[in-house]
Amino acid sequence: MNKPEFYQRLAEILDVDELQPESVLRDFDEWDSLAVLSVLALADSKYGVTIRAEEIRSVVTAADLADLVEAKQK
Amino acid sequence: MNFKFRHKRITGILAVVPAREQSFVEDMKHFNFPIARSLKLKEVMGYDKHRIVEPGVCVSDLAVAGLEHLFKNDLLHPDEFDALILITQSPDYFMPPTSNVIQGRLNLKHDLLCLDINQGCAGFIIGLMQAFSLLEQESIRKVVLINADVLSRKTSPKDRNSYPLIGDAAAITVVERDPEDTVIHANLKMDGTRNNVLMIPAGGFRLPSSPATAVLEDVGDNNLRAKDHLRMDGSAVFNFVQIEVPRMINELLKYAGATLNEIDYFFCHQPNRFMLQKLADKMQLPYSKMPSNVVERFGNSSGVTIPVTITSNLRDRLMHEQFKVCLAGYGVGLTWSAMLLDLGKVKFNTIIEYK
Repeated sequence: MNKPEFYQRLAEILDVDELQPESVLRDFDEWDSLAVLSVLALADSKYGVTIRAEEIRSVVTAADLADLVEAKQK
Repeated sequence: MNFKFRHKRITGILAVVPAREQSFVEDMKHFNFPIARSLKLKEVMGYDKHRIVEPGVCVSDLAVAGLEHLFKNDLLHPDEFDALILITQSPDYFMPPTSNVIQGRLNLKHDLLCLDINQGCAGFIIGLMQAFSLLEQESIRKVVLINADVLSRKTSPKDRNSYPLIGDAAAITVVERDPEDTVIHANLKMDGTRNNVLMIPAGGFRLPSSPATAVLEDVGDNNLRAKDHLRMDGSAVFNFVQIEVPRMINELLKYAGATLNEIDYFFCHQPNRFMLQKLADKMQLPYSKMPSNVVERFGNSSGVTIPVTITSNLRDRLMHEQFKVCLAGYGVGLTWSAMLLDLGKVKFNTIIEYK
């Protein structure tokens, strides 16, 4: 997985210019059910993996989310 | 599982939508949510306008209005059909069946098989399968299939997950025997272990409606709804659709010996534009082949969306032309179903408003 590319796509979902791996997702105003759905769609369409909403809600940082998607790819 | 039907065809579709149009901008006022995020939701999901019944309007009201329109315009005669199937999740009563209510209100003949079926988003295809099966009986000349729901009445206006997309509607489809040797293929799957993904928890016998079930609860993300209201696990539905629907359509095409390219249109259930475009992407289909414009114009009326998609996108064209179409419905149950058929040269294909 190309991590910088993943963070860029996540930044677009959160409507911010850039995102650090250690950024805490729930600190963003935009981190809501629509964002979660957008992440599900991103994981499905770009990375070919299915994530459940509960799994996404349990991650803390952007890096955790990247790890979750990457782990599913294996 | 696969199904095959011979010598059957659809000869007319009429959609009935409430005249009352509600806009997402109006809806937003009831949400406890920043305006900017609501607008983002509108843009991504394709929410705009949806049709909602006036208080007190029931499924039989929409159905009777539609049938009266057909009788009055000589598009259908009250004595020429021998079965009336109603697919709904929002019946007028627990008992009697709403199909009998419709029969009675229109004084239809006694030699008529009336049948209520509780189905949701796959309800158009399930209804067609029932209609085709009934047409194996010599005594049944035509079947009137009615899909109708008024689920806005069970949706919380303070629930951003469901309210902006909900729509009410009815559709009347006439199904009859085809002298040509037509073959219609279908595929159906169900998974009852996921029956709670889309549900109205209260109001049945398990949890009767009471003052307690009417209390609005904060269900997260500042969405408020009661146990009397429809609830939908949106992300579970999303994953379900993206995984199961392409697989099912591929299975159906294989069974029918058809290819994706020869299909003119994919008329799918309309949960929202976002989900349909993701589905089209996944199946590598151009968006023009899979219309996704019903939620923004009419709302998601559960099992009625497929006929509404057909009438609103093809209109009169369907009376003169013929298309190879794939229908796909997916939702409550969970149920997912697809059907491959030739559709066209119908007697009517139109939308009327219920006032």
